[in-house]
Amino acid sequence: MSQATLNIRRISGHAGSAPGAGVEREEQVCKLVDTTTCIGCKACEVACLEWNGYSFRETVFQNSYQTMPETAWNYWNLIKFNEHEREDGSMMLLMRKDQCMHCAEPGCLAACPADGAIVQYINGIVDFQQDHCIGCGYCVSGCPFNIPKFNQHTEKMFKCTLCSDRVNEGLEPACIKSCPTGCLHFGTKEDMKELAEARARQLREHSGFDKAGVYDPAGVGGTGVIYVLHDVTNPEAYGGLPSNPRIPWVVKFWKGPLKWIGNLAMIGGVIGVTLHYLRFGPKQVEPERDGNSRP
Amino acid sequence: MSTSQVMPPRPTAYRRPAILRYTLSERVHHWIAGLTYVYCLVTGLAFWSPYLFWLAALVGGGAVARFWHPWLGLVFTASVFWMYKMWRRDMLTTDADRAWSKSIQYYIRNEDQNLPPIGRFNYGQKLYFWLIFYGAILLLLSGIGLWFVESIPWSLRWLRYLAVAVHVGAALITIGGFIIHVYMGTAMVRGGFTSIIRGEVSPEWAKTHHRLWYDKVTGDASGRK
Amino acid sequence: MTNGYVDIKNTDMMLIMGGNPAENHPCGFKWAIEAKRNRNAKMIVVDPRFTRTAATADLFLQIRAGADIAFLGGVIRYAIENNRIAQDYLANYTNAAFIVKEGFKLPDDGLYSGFDAASQTYDKSTWNYEAAGPAGEAKPGLPPNVNSDMTLQHPRCVFQLLKTQYSRYTPEMVERITGIPKDQFLKAAELYTSIRKDGDMKKVATIMYAVGWTQHTFGTQIIRTAAMLQLLLGNVGRAGGGVNALRGHSNIQGATDMGGVFDIWPGYLKVPAPADTSLKAYTDRTTPTASKPAEWDSFNYWSNTPRFAVSYLKAMYGDAATKENDFAFDYMPKVDRNYSWTQLWDQMYRGSVKGLFAFGMNGVAIGPDSQKNIEALKKADWLVVGEIYPDETSEFWNSPGITKEEMKSINTTVYRLACAGFAEKDGSMTNSARWLQWKNAAVPPPGQARLDQDIVAQVFLKVRELYAKEGGKFPDPITHVTWAYSDPQHPSLGEVAKEINGKALGDVTDPKTQQVTKAGPQLPGFAWLRDDGTTSCGNWIYCGSWTEAGNLLARRGTEDPSGLGVYPNWAWSWPANRRVLYNRASCDPAGQPWDPTRKQIWWNEKTQLWTGVDVPDFKPDSHPKDHMGPFIMTPEGIGRIFAPLAAFADGPFPEHYEPFESPVQNALHPAQSKNPVVKKLTTPADKYGTTAEGFNVICTTYRLTEHYHYWTKNNPVNVQLIPEPFVEMPVELADELGIRGGELVKITSARSYYIAKAFVTKRIKPMNIDGKKVYQVGLPIHQGFRGIQEDAGRNARTLANRLSPTVVDPNAYTPEFKGFLVKVEKA
Repeated sequence: MSQATLNIRRISGHAGSAPGAGVEREEQVCKLVDTTTCIGCKACEVACLEWNGYSFRETVFQNSYQTMPETAWNYWNLIKFNEHEREDGSMMLLMRKDQCMHCAEPGCLAACPADGAIVQYINGIVDFQQDHCIGCGYCVSGCPFNIPKFNQHTEKMFKCTLCSDRVNEGLEPACIKSCPTGCLHFGTKEDMKELAEARARQLREHSGFDKAGVYDPAGVGGTGVIYVLHDVTNPEAYGGLPSNPRIPWVVKFWKGPLKWIGNLAMIGGVIGVTLHYLRFGPKQVEPERDGNSRP
Repeated sequence: MSTSQVMPPRPTAYRRPAILRYTLSERVHHWIAGLTYVYCLVTGLAFWSPYLFWLAALVGGGAVARFWHPWLGLVFTASVFWMYKMWRRDMLTTDADRAWSKSIQYYIRNEDQNLPPIGRFNYGQKLYFWLIFYGAILLLLSGIGLWFVESIPWSLRWLRYLAVAVHVGAALITIGGFIIHVYMGTAMVRGGFTSIIRGEVSPEWAKTHHRLWYDKVTGDASGRK
Repeated sequence: MTNGYVDIKNTDMMLIMGGNPAENHPCGFKWAIEAKRNRNAKMIVVDPRFTRTAATADLFLQIRAGADIAFLGGVIRYAIENNRIAQDYLANYTNAAFIVKEGFKLPDDGLYSGFDAASQTYDKSTWNYEAAGPAGEAKPGLPPNVNSDMTLQHPRCVFQLLKTQYSRYTPEMVERITGIPKDQFLKAAELYTSIRKDGDMKKVATIMYAVGWTQHTFGTQIIRTAAMLQLLLGNVGRAGGGVNALRGHSNIQGATDMGGVFDIWPGYLKVPAPADTSLKAYTDRTTPTASKPAEWDSFNYWSNTPRFAVSYLKAMYGDAATKENDFAFDYMPKVDRNYSWTQLWDQMYRGSVKGLFAFGMNGVAIGPDSQKNIEALKKADWLVVGEIYPDETSEFWNSPGITKEEMKSINTTVYRLACAGFAEKDGSMTNSARWLQWKNAAVPPPGQARLDQDIVAQVFLKVRELYAKEGGKFPDPITHVTWAYSDPQHPSLGEVAKEINGKALGDVTDPKTQQVTKAGPQLPGFAWLRDDGTTSCGNWIYCGSWTEAGNLLARRGTEDPSGLGVYPNWAWSWPANRRVLYNRASCDPAGQPWDPTRKQIWWNEKTQLWTGVDVPDFKPDSHPKDHMGPFIMTPEGIGRIFAPLAAFADGPFPEHYEPFESPVQNALHPAQSKNPVVKKLTTPADKYGTTAEGFNVICTTYRLTEHYHYWTKNNPVNVQLIPEPFVEMPVELADELGIRGGELVKITSARSYYIAKAFVTKRIKPMNIDGKKVYQVGLPIHQGFRGIQEDAGRNARTLANRLSPTVVDPNAYTPEFKGFLVKVEKA
């Protein structure tokens, strides 16, 4: 969704710098998901579906309350249900709202070759611009959270927009609005961090969750969606939330050093053959002489 | 097939009978491979760097480029396999090649007179052939991975990353070979380009560059003695 | 709810049992989360399954379905043993000090005094207080003056009886019955009663429940145990406390308030019985007289019953209700038998009920024993279904197993009327917090769909026309009904709401100011109601909702000056816009709040009135030294720990009985395992299973947050969220049977079978009940044979309630959906 009025910090596949790079006129926005007060009601799933206008998608029961195994191109918001046994044998039902994390250093954007197909606004929202998307799927490899999904019909990639259209108009994202327990919050990154830390402290001090903490992974520069977890040392238990997400090193190497190595090699190759030609010139065919054998 | 024959002389064009170096089938396959490779190269370069993304505009824009790249890549791979079928025996390394490769500096310096005679393809050509053959396999496998990247389950996501690494790596290596191949086929070895267009070379050309092959097709074994 | 949803945010401790608010009342559950977040409130969840509510709890205990009284009784014992009780509250605000008549016997053997085995009923005459003075003994009913012992030491005082009754509910016994290990039980009991540590009265605990308690053959008694525990701990009437029923439908509270049950009139007035040959006979029978220690005072608000009843009759019959004809009392039906839900179906099955109007419910799917209901409908002459979707009831003839040939032999005429959905009509809904909230229609009904009230009005007018034309045995009750709506065919719900509120028909005097109001205006409250025919009121507890000030139900004031979530200007709460019932009990006997940080109401010495942030639920000028009891709706003015006389059919104290179908014998008294007054139904369809027949797995039924009963299977989004029927079962049971998650399983009860996919989960553990390994499985009820899921052809196409037994609670007649026996096998 194109949000021209939001200033842009980063642009995918773009030659030169982005217009909003280095500008900090706007606050970083952030979604706070307090998994300790999530009741798995899926109101956020439905709100997402309805706001974005996606319709019925056939699902199959798969031994879980979870609607489908992972997010889909037209299902951006999915609560992941995980039965978890604590060390003392007590049960936990971990419910985590899975969606785009809106990384400060987005792997999708780094991997994307199409000019302007992925932008990061200066409020931190990472948004796909389907008009520019070429459907190559590089973002899939770039994302450490398994979020971008391909629409076979339009051959474009889709994911959560953090309701950039709503945020642009001063509204909270649809999922936030629908949450009945208030486990979802929306505000500036700073405020959300503070709220999250306060909640984590409360969990540590009053609820016996010694390892409660805030998930805001540094490996991707922090995220625009942060979680309060009962056990921040084991995010994997929450439906495969990576404990130390980073842009895959392959993607980093590819988009970083390899690009230079490759460029140098290619340019070097062209220069090399040119120099060769200038120095040695073309190979001449030996003129035909009488007789048919080499001297 | 690799058996070339002396053609009957053309009535007026040549003073002496020309030698058929590439059959029509060989030329067609070469050019299918060549053109599809160039297409994939151009579009691939567009995806490679933002500073080259304009290349995509030349072939209809990014989305169109993205659409055709894997399909033409398949055609490329198919033609490479066809070439493999045609040339694989010709491309086996021989003792002559080994001898030739030891004297490659003469070849680079255009001091071909110091080179031992070789057959239909020299060692460099053979290397390039195998480079493209194995490169195509890697590009195909990794390309499929990239094409259907979402179908690779998250638990096997290392395959996604491997696909990226292999595709890019294989592409870069073939590009290196390709630059040399194009340079040699056009600028460096005069007559080479004509041969892959018209299929014919002059006896002198054949004698100069591929003496053993020349001897074989003309029945002249004197050079060996 | 004694309190309200918003009020839950004021609590320090929550016990959630027999309910799953996170899934079934997610919006209300917000306030439980608020309490946790803002007050560090603790949450204890006790449930047969680890639910999504349990996921947010501080402590979860897995209980065997139907063992709730044992658990709560154990907590009562723990509280008494450890002196974690509200001493002053108990002595002054409950009947703990009241002395019970000699001859009353506790159920050591499972039976209270007075049991008659032949009729399976109790003679309850010994279930009474001891009258003060020699004269009181002779008369039936409660004695006007009761002997009491404020030291609570008298061996026959209620407190000592309570202590004795629950002394048997030791932690060991609790473990044997409930399957909750002793240490876990003690942890929960310690935590819950910790709010009364050292007798400190500041903290408050709340109990939330839903139909997981109600739907048992001892359901009413479970809720009573909870109420007793709350009285013992002094939690009733206080912000953040109370006993809170979370209702399962948006307007089920309203349905009950408006007399949507066979044995009450609107406003919980009792229905007349055949013996009530005159209005006086009726009001004499149904109007209680105060019963209390001599030095105390009792408001006994039900002493106003005649005013409420006459005003109701005036609302029904208007000018046709005159003093001379007993205000048309004879027009009202006299209820001579049990017409509760299961009885209606039973009578239809037996052929005596010939037709049924089914509006706003899906009787076949609701069950219990859906198959019996289907068989019953086959025998009916006609069926009218008003619904927004084609449902199982209107298509009972097409249920799985009925052949084309058999269909031809079903002669029931089915009229399917397309009704309006909730968003297509205006009107009010009364939520669990007793708030009457007005809503506007969002969209017009589609196609030929009509408003429910229009359908009912048009049927009524046609019937009245026929009576007027053709007469009949007794046409007056029909022809004389007031129908003063501006468009009789399409009564506006605003007019109906005004009629329910009531108005002055003659000159009425303000009870406070003695100012006289002329006939005509809407009444400002039920204190204005009269028994002389000068007022009309459709439901006294709703009086004050639509006054001369307008429609108070539509108010949307968000001011909350106290910060206690009272929101006095949001909608309107019955009675009299009170948000917390019995709020006098939030103060000590001297009239000052137990907790100064949560001041609800208090006695103002200066004005000599009760005042506060909420409307006092009390006589506003009753000085604390008069010692009027805060529970103004009981004749005693107190909270009943001992429920005397006919309050309950099965005992004045709750006792643990086994569910009707149980895998074990009652550990307290194996010879009297089940509730002695619960009766089987006797048609061939009423079958009950035993472990001997191989039914050895406990099955409980419930709703999921993703669906709403049997409607949302017609809505693609809900279907997407939970697409197929499943049965939740422990991993261990699945392993034993070789079942993997997602495979089809067949669940069979004595009634019928159900096929669904296995949901193999660690959230239900096998239980050890008195040394016996017992499995429990859980069955969501949402799927059936009519809906987009079903039409997709991959559904079980049977109803979960084909499994549930037709056996009911003896007080509320609620069927036992929670805990019956089944067999589980691979399908």
